[in-house]
Amino acid sequence: MVAGPGLVAANAGNDAAGIATYASAGSQYVYGTLFFMVLVTVALVMVQEMAVRLGAYTGKGLGALIREQFSLRLTALAVCCLLLANTGLVVSEFAGIGAAVELLGVPKWLVIPPAAVLLWALVLFGSYRWAERIFLVMSLAFFAYPVAMVLGHPHWGDVGHHLVVPHLERSKEFILLAVALIGTTVSPYMQFYAAAGVVDRGAKPEDYKLIRADAVLGAVFACGISLTIIIATASVIGGTGPLQSAAQAAEALKPVAGHGAELLFALGLIGASALAGAVVPLSASYAVGEAAGVERSVSRSFRDAPLFLGLFTAQIALGAIVALTPVDVIQLLIGTQVLQGLISPIVLVYLLVLTNRRSLLGAAANGPRYRIAATTVVVGVAAMSTILLVQTVLGWFGLV
Amino acid sequence: MATNTLFMSTTARLRDRKVDLELRATASRTVRSSLVSLAGLVGGPVTNQAGEEVGRVVDVVARLYGPDPYPPVTGLIIRIGRRRAFLAADKLDRVQAGQVRLRTARVDLRDFTRRPGEVLLARDVMDHQLVDVDGVQVTRAADLYLAPLTGRVVLVGVDVSLPTLLRRLGPRRWQVRPTPDRVLDWQSIAPFGAQATDGPAEVRLRASRSALHQLRPADLADILEDLGRTERQQLLGWLEPEQAADALEEMEPAELENLLREAPPEHAARLVDEMEPDEAIDALRDLQPGERETLLARMPAAEAAELRGLLAHREGTAGGAMTTLLVTARPEQTVAEVRAELAAQAEHRTEIAAVAVLDPQGRLLADISLYDLVVAEDTTLVADLTAWLAQFGRPVMVRPDTRLAEVADQLVAARAASLLVVDEADRPLGRILADDILDALLPERGRLHFRRFLQ
Repeated sequence: MVAGPGLVAANAGNDAAGIATYASAGSQYVYGTLFFMVLVTVALVMVQEMAVRLGAYTGKGLGALIREQFSLRLTALAVCCLLLANTGLVVSEFAGIGAAVELLGVPKWLVIPPAAVLLWALVLFGSYRWAERIFLVMSLAFFAYPVAMVLGHPHWGDVGHHLVVPHLERSKEFILLAVALIGTTVSPYMQFYAAAGVVDRGAKPEDYKLIRADAVLGAVFACGISLTIIIATASVIGGTGPLQSAAQAAEALKPVAGHGAELLFALGLIGASALAGAVVPLSASYAVGEAAGVERSVSRSFRDAPLFLGLFTAQIALGAIVALTPVDVIQLLIGTQVLQGLISPIVLVYLLVLTNRRSLLGAAANGPRYRIAATTVVVGVAAMSTILLVQTVLGWFGLV
Repeated sequence: MATNTLFMSTTARLRDRKVDLELRATASRTVRSSLVSLAGLVGGPVTNQAGEEVGRVVDVVARLYGPDPYPPVTGLIIRIGRRRAFLAADKLDRVQAGQVRLRTARVDLRDFTRRPGEVLLARDVMDHQLVDVDGVQVTRAADLYLAPLTGRVVLVGVDVSLPTLLRRLGPRRWQVRPTPDRVLDWQSIAPFGAQATDGPAEVRLRASRSALHQLRPADLADILEDLGRTERQQLLGWLEPEQAADALEEMEPAELENLLREAPPEHAARLVDEMEPDEAIDALRDLQPGERETLLARMPAAEAAELRGLLAHREGTAGGAMTTLLVTARPEQTVAEVRAELAAQAEHRTEIAAVAVLDPQGRLLADISLYDLVVAEDTTLVADLTAWLAQFGRPVMVRPDTRLAEVADQLVAARAASLLVVDEADRPLGRILADDILDALLPERGRLHFRRFLQ
């Protein structure tokens, strides 16, 4: 259990949409969002811990637990939320691939459809493992960010100040970005993925301490990388307003790669997007299949596992089609993360109710103090989403 | 003329088909009208003789594990105001779609206490996993159907179709209407109640449902892979250890590792002990050293020592892939005696491909394939067979440290189904079968597991 599921799950968050959101935070508010990111880190740690605890103590995935512990209607709600959020994520993965190839001067409509078909076929016809390693190596390009952060000479005093001093703005743009930051960090699919990973390794309650350490470290590590992306971007293009394009985001890597910054950025983007582009739709199909109680396996034919494979195919197809729409890529990427942020609190409520149940977890259920802390996290996340929704609705009527 | 008969028979066939369809439609209408959907019943009103509502149905209690072929409903749990109470089945007059009528005007309320073999259907069975023995799959119960018979109500089937799930999402009016599209007969499923394995021995015996014993080991392995942790352990508890071990041999290594890790150590040790030695070794190799010791310590000393000896061989060598199960014969025996010995080894039928002939010092003289044994006369001496086989050259032998790739080459060159592993003095240590070689050399071909994305 070296690089455990917690680590992998949390780092899948630093994909195309994640990079776009963090880079936008850096360029728009310089170091202004750092304190908020610290809050989000705390939230992520708690949420991932709850997910892996459920997995370790029950030996079941979240999809199965929701079906067994809630009414069918509530199960349907959770499943719909997960599918909606995940399809949004798949859109962002393909948009990320599109943005990356456009950096290299290839039109996106030429690349996205074949990329979608290729990913779909790789997973279904089984040489995905091999391809995955290539994607993984490509996505290592993003480890240039911490180096870029140091070489970019940020104002360390300012950075430290913003990490510990609360700074929140009431403007709609800030709230929107904050929800996107929540969405890209505490995205619904991660909890499902983390729990499934634990179950799949056959972890027992006795292994819980190890698993918890893995989940917590993974979450902290992923958020650490996110912080370096914000700081690196802020020190290069901070204060230039909202992020305009992928090329602008790539500038943050200039201190490391000089003229090769765009190439490096594009490589990382393709790798990370392709990696998540297979895992995200799979984990959603897996969770839905688990909840519905149907066959779920990629080595079955469409006749044996129609729901599972159909959902997987539909998500990829829909993701690729939406990613082809001629919307501004950065807006699309951040938009998908806002969607995740809006759905996230709903899934968190399920998670919270499940971990509070003594009938399910026995002594491992949330204690009174933990319950208060976790509830605060969920309420906080829900509050941000609600504020954004209210602002948006008022905006339609011209009241803001 | 010919066309005419063809035409005639076609119309006759069409007419027959129409009649048949009508019959089936009538049958399904009758079935439909008599079945009561459990999902529709939960939350429905309970009325007394006078037609006044006394409460609402919360859950239905049935004796799942008892002597009856179809579980009888033993009572209802109803909500009266804020209180929950148990209502025994003999108080029920009629159970119909979405409502229950009582036989009496007054209700005597008791608190519910679970008796052995009883299960709360809505809480413990509906929406939970169950094994569909006919379709060989793990599925979830979308709805349960009760059939009111004379004087009692029994649970007859389980609905597992997606449309039924959609029906349950709809308004109350839809919910009470049964939709028996894909209904599994209660006889052909293995349900998991929370309390399924509590209670007296005969209850448990009934729980190890005979239906499960029709499954082939490979199917059982698939099912074990699909089940949740608690259900998996329950199912293992119901099976005879021999049957369970056969299924474990067919499982994906990673899944088997999980299963052994989560089982109580005594049970896991028993299962590994029942497995064929070569498969048991593969399983033990995947475990952590500590876990391996835990299991070995709980096995009978002789078996544990044998497995420890095998574990000493490196993986990927002949010694690591062989089975220590050897059927041996002496030259002075007759073919009939050897056959009798083989017959006594029926439980290991998949591991036997030939019989090794040994001299008094235990050295190998010949390896007689089953074909040669089958075609030989009963009275033939093994010594004669050995002499006759000598014209085809020495039997194929490898040392325990031979690499598996080379073992495969030898096997192919010899065109045999198995070959013997021997020590320096040509004393057989074990046998390698063709399927073990295939297992070791073929890439893993698993079903989807997240593990694939995590390693």
